Amino acid sequence: MIAYKFLRSDGTSPFTRFAWPVPRGEPGDWLEAPIAPCRSGIHACRARDLPLWVGRALYEAELDGEIVEEPTKVVASRARLVRRIDAWNDNARDAYTRMCADRAHELAVGASPVLKDWDAVIEPSIREGPALLGFVAARIAEARSGVEAYHAERARQTAWLVERLGLEPS
Amino acid sequence: MADGHEHVSCQAVVELVTDYLEQALPPHEAALVEQHINFCEGCDWYVDQMRRTVATVGRIEEGHVPPETRDMLLAAFREWRRS
Amino acid sequence: MTRVGVQEHQASQEELELLGRLRAGDEQAFEALVTQHYATMLAVAQTYVRTRAVAEEVVQEAWLGVLKGLDRFEGRSSLKTWILRILVNIAKTRGVREARSVPYASLAPEGEEPAVEPERFRGPGDAFPGHWRAYPADWHTLPEDALLQQETLRVAMEAIERLPPAQRTVIVMRDIQGCEPEEVCAVLDVSDGNQRVLLHRARSRVRAALERHLDG
Repeated sequence: MIAYKFLRSDGTSPFTRFAWPVPRGEPGDWLEAPIAPCRSGIHACRARDLPLWVGRALYEAELDGEIVEEPTKVVASRARLVRRIDAWNDNARDAYTRMCADRAHELAVGASPVLKDWDAVIEPSIREGPALLGFVAARIAEARSGVEAYHAERARQTAWLVERLGLEPS
Repeated sequence: MADGHEHVSCQAVVELVTDYLEQALPPHEAALVEQHINFCEGCDWYVDQMRRTVATVGRIEEGHVPPETRDMLLAAFREWRRS
Repeated sequence: MTRVGVQEHQASQEELELLGRLRAGDEQAFEALVTQHYATMLAVAQTYVRTRAVAEEVVQEAWLGVLKGLDRFEGRSSLKTWILRILVNIAKTRGVREARSVPYASLAPEGEEPAVEPERFRGPGDAFPGHWRAYPADWHTLPEDALLQQETLRVAMEAIERLPPAQRTVIVMRDIQGCEPEEVCAVLDVSDGNQRVLLHRARSRVRAALERHLDG
């Protein structure tokens, strides 16, 4: 199964700082991690999860072995990084951040009544980057129109990323 | 039922941080905490503060047995050994 | 993974060897054992008695009790847990005799104790309720040795001294003495969940004290 993995610029996991074998010309080494009932296994994103886990460096990953699908991620007992998605660079990050900020304004100002306090958070958040702005836009959508709107906004974000980065939409 | 919409606030995260660091959170909640830390700089710094707090506490040295106590207990041990 | 029950460990191979040396009269083994557990025992004793001086007496008494019972110890629990339980029994008895104002039975965490003052977060009626009004400091930006300073350590120690007894015992056992959660539960007779709540509250208070010290 093809999936995605966000890592820090140095190729380490954002939460555990685990150093992944990164691809250099060819896929990185396979990792194995048995899936215990509540823990371990290797975590990765489907396309629809991408906005939730936005990080510095994006890789395409191949998953194998036992694969468990969870609400916001997929967990596998075997995985390797196939290639770095170079299209996810500073320009793409900035463009995505700006897109989310513009959407957030649109949603907050277009609301009735106007979500002024929510709108005020947008610009100051820009410096914190794409993950935060994606969250801000989705939450403003939710504040305006409920949970469905939250999901719709996240789906928009996924669609933007899939198109911009040339990913498989599944 | 989890559908990917839920999120935790910063206020919730500061209460969950110990369980998170202890790996005692159910996977669903651990994922929510990680999603949050991924976009929230403030909470990322807070969790880091917590880690550094634990590291600092870990450097506190204790364990010095007062000499009188040591002598008394050794004497008691010899007594016990004899019987 | 949520721990449903607490698993008690048997005496380890290392402990059984130590036991053999003790029964053979090896003084160095006994001295090493006393040194190894002294700080933990003092902390645990102070959960139940008023003063450090009394706690030290309790610890001494406990070691005498350990010697009395050493021949009968079968290794069904770990040696450390067995020693600490002897200590707890003596400490509780002494604590009751002292008529402590806080009965030992209330080791379970009570009430609410937010890790961070609620005012530091946006209110329920605000945009982004529950989010920080202003972020806490990024301690990565501190001078490299700020957290290593003797002064910083002293602030942490003082904060620990001021903790309620049960919180102090748990943080000393877990974060200073490196005891396992199961050991804390077995010795203090609290559930794993409660042990974590106590640890959480203790760590939160110490973090706050360090924050006040470092951020000014």
